Amino acid sequence: MAFRRLLTVVTLALLWLSVGPLHGAEFRAGVLQPPRKAPDFTLKASNGAEFRLSRYQGKVVLMGFGYTYCPDVCPTTLADLALVRKKLGADAERVQVIYVTVDPERDTVERLRAYMNAFDKTFLGLTGTPEQLTGVRKGYGVSTRKTVVDKKSGAYLVHHSASIHFIDGAGYLRIMAPFGTSVEDMAHDVKLLLTERQR
Amino acid sequence: MNGNKLSLTLAAIFFLATAAACDRSKPEIRLESAWARRAPMAGGGTQSGAASERGNGAVYATVVNAGKTTDVLIAGASEAADAVELHESYEMSGMMMMRPVPKFEIPAGGKLEMKPGGYHLMLLRLKRDLTPGEKIKASLTFEKAGQVSVDAEVR
Repeated sequence: MAFRRLLTVVTLALLWLSVGPLHGAEFRAGVLQPPRKAPDFTLKASNGAEFRLSRYQGKVVLMGFGYTYCPDVCPTTLADLALVRKKLGADAERVQVIYVTVDPERDTVERLRAYMNAFDKTFLGLTGTPEQLTGVRKGYGVSTRKTVVDKKSGAYLVHHSASIHFIDGAGYLRIMAPFGTSVEDMAHDVKLLLTERQR
Repeated sequence: MNGNKLSLTLAAIFFLATAAACDRSKPEIRLESAWARRAPMAGGGTQSGAASERGNGAVYATVVNAGKTTDVLIAGASEAADAVELHESYEMSGMMMMRPVPKFEIPAGGKLEMKPGGYHLMLLRLKRDLTPGEKIKASLTFEKAGQVSVDAEVR
């Protein structure tokens, strides 16, 4: 009787181990369950063209929010995303990074272009009218707060949500990677999204 | 006998005072692995480069206090920017926020690690673009150690 119980335990353990590796194929950053359709939008891109999200179906889109006067968080995010693309090798061609400004007053198309190019020439900075940008932020649950730091010069900071939104090839929001998610984990999750598309 | 005791005491006091003074003159502040984040916005992406259009940057370093007393980082400066401020990035209600910090305390035998998304030296209004591979000079002012200079590689 005791032997049979042991046998059951061992069998269950082996079964769990055999299924275990499948769990290795899980996403590492914050999964959005159930996935929802990524709200479509049109904005002005730093390459001078109009950017419409729905035209990028078939690619994995990594979307972040920030601004060019930001010294710490934004350049860290962009440098990490550049490393993610490097890690992906040839697969990087099927990934588009977009960075939506939270500071349209100061971030011109030229500024955004120079900023994006310093990290990765394929990155697109996006801007638009304050109303358009508010709409996009609402659609993705992104908040911002402007804080004047120097009353004399009027210099200000824009605090903002700094997660990266992963949109899959079918146009669904799948993952939110909070600021500080490792390059390895982000690359891992992008790879999973890319293999999904091949199925 | 009494005279002897007094001179001994005086000698002891003198010795201790000198030791303390030595300690203070040798605060042993060290800056390790200093680096600066690339920043392309010195000219604001245009050629005009008006002060208000000049972008910002960040320098990170680990401050090691090998001394026996707490030291305090109170200011910074760099040839690459108009001004340097001590800053802290932190998360609040789902947003990444940033605030100036008046000073960073480094306890005796302890260290302060500046890193992306945490403590950093903010470079205000860059005088030139910071491109990967080059080095910029920065100097940090400590209450006890005074000025400590460092070369930060741009990454």
